[in-house]
Amino acid sequence: MSMTINGVSVDDTFAEAFGMSGTGIIITADTLKWARIAATVATGFGTSVIGCGAECGIDRDLTPDETPDGRPGVRILMFGFSPDALVPQVKNRIGQCVLTSPGSACYSGLKAPLSIGLGKAPRFFGDGFQTAKKLGDSRYWRVPVMDGEFVVEEETGVTTDAVGGGNMLIVGKDRTGLLETAEAAVDAIAKVDDVITPFPGGIVRSGSKVGAKYAGMFASTNDAFCPTLRGTVKSELGPDSLAVLEIVIDGLTSKAVADAMRAGLKTVTDIGAKRGVTRITAGNYGGKLGQHHYHLKDLI
Amino acid sequence: MSGLTLRLKAPATERINLSEITPAKLAALSSHAMARLNVGFDKGGLALGDAFDISGNAGDTLTIEGSGASLDFAGSGLDSGTIRIVGNAGAYAGRKMSGGKLEIRGNAGNFLASRATGGMIHVSGNAGDNLGGVIAGDRFGMQGGIAVIDGNVGDRAGEKMRRGTVIVRGKTGEGAGTRMIGGTIWAEGGIGPLPGLMMRRGTLIGPSVDRLLPTFVDCGKHDLVIVRVLSRYLKNVLGDLAPKPMPLFIQKIAGDMATIGRGEILLPAS
Repeated sequence: MSMTINGVSVDDTFAEAFGMSGTGIIITADTLKWARIAATVATGFGTSVIGCGAECGIDRDLTPDETPDGRPGVRILMFGFSPDALVPQVKNRIGQCVLTSPGSACYSGLKAPLSIGLGKAPRFFGDGFQTAKKLGDSRYWRVPVMDGEFVVEEETGVTTDAVGGGNMLIVGKDRTGLLETAEAAVDAIAKVDDVITPFPGGIVRSGSKVGAKYAGMFASTNDAFCPTLRGTVKSELGPDSLAVLEIVIDGLTSKAVADAMRAGLKTVTDIGAKRGVTRITAGNYGGKLGQHHYHLKDLI
Repeated sequence: MSGLTLRLKAPATERINLSEITPAKLAALSSHAMARLNVGFDKGGLALGDAFDISGNAGDTLTIEGSGASLDFAGSGLDSGTIRIVGNAGAYAGRKMSGGKLEIRGNAGNFLASRATGGMIHVSGNAGDNLGGVIAGDRFGMQGGIAVIDGNVGDRAGEKMRRGTVIVRGKTGEGAGTRMIGGTIWAEGGIGPLPGLMMRRGTLIGPSVDRLLPTFVDCGKHDLVIVRVLSRYLKNVLGDLAPKPMPLFIQKIAGDMATIGRGEILLPAS
């Protein structure tokens, strides 16, 4: 039984999400512009753990007061199937994308009982000229590079209580208005700490279902939500639905994902109807695969 | 805050050994057993109760009053709680300390914080030679923790120091950082002559250095991120006791090139 809020129909369904491992990393630079550049590159190609190895994104900007070196920074989050799966992702992304970025430094962005290497591998770029400074419980590596030193903390925390795959599907009859609404929802979600929306601009246009007719494909197009297939498949879309956009949310805690979904849903129901949004629903697998269920009616 | 107070009954005529006299250890003893603890160096022994008036209740704080330079090993083995010494302390204060806080409201003798691995030491006066230094039979000097000396320190501070941080509000004596392996000595009043002999790694920071060894080389002026990290860390941990941040640009002098040369002396860029 769906409900209607401000002219937007909200399905009585739930988003099904999965337990994941997550880590946080702080990237600083001489300016916020360069911290963002390093963070953007380090989180690139990090939309889906299926094909990218990790789901990555920028959590938020940090003021100089919030960073270990008093420079502007950005906190990024990375999510994977396990702490071990995150190790090569962190190593490669920090080594190739942050170490290489002018003026950058890199620190732990999550305190947790478990930890994984952050600068453990990239320090060897120093070819024996690297030195360490241990301050309290943290060890910082100083790797000589051509613009000075790349400072990187040895380890960062990792949590196994993270959640990946919180989601909402926004259905509309106007593609431009639908995209504007989804953008506004992503902006609202960005204000929630400890979450990311890992897809391009935080929005997915290619929602997937599990499996495919082709061998070796783990996921394929969600035909039930493809408007151009309406009439040819068992469609989930009504006659006035022109397009569907999905927002996928990963968070360090289940509460953070729920808060983010709440913020996104509020934005869509507040402004969506005027922009042609007709309906909100969510993706699930019948509740059999994911440990975390976020019922839309509980978050409205 | 509960705690015991030890007040020296009379000026000491022999050296007193306060090794392993910690709040936690005293809290586990009856008052009778406490008074019988041997704090002497010779075979005859000197009972704690004979040397000190003991008052208060055992807890997380131990205050030692009326002390003097003959009280050795104060705070040795401290792993939690606070030891407050009102007056001077002798040699080896804070040796093998791994946690807690040692406050010396006076001067400290030689070998303060030798082989310490953690905890915080604050000396309101001066400290003697070999602060955080190695003693015969030990492999390393200070290996962790923080020591803040409000006054000056003697010669060879940080000899074979491996980790940890020493803040000196005054000046270091000759040969600070001799054979240093790691850690940081930050002397706000300046670094004494000939620092870092055979230093392998580690950092000496100060506004000036009296005379450099010829085996130290100028690496130029730099904006070092690690110095900012260090300053913020010390501000977070020490609050008002933290040294004033260094200027943005710093002259880095590397050495000792007679060994691997990964050590450094950092001075304000002129």
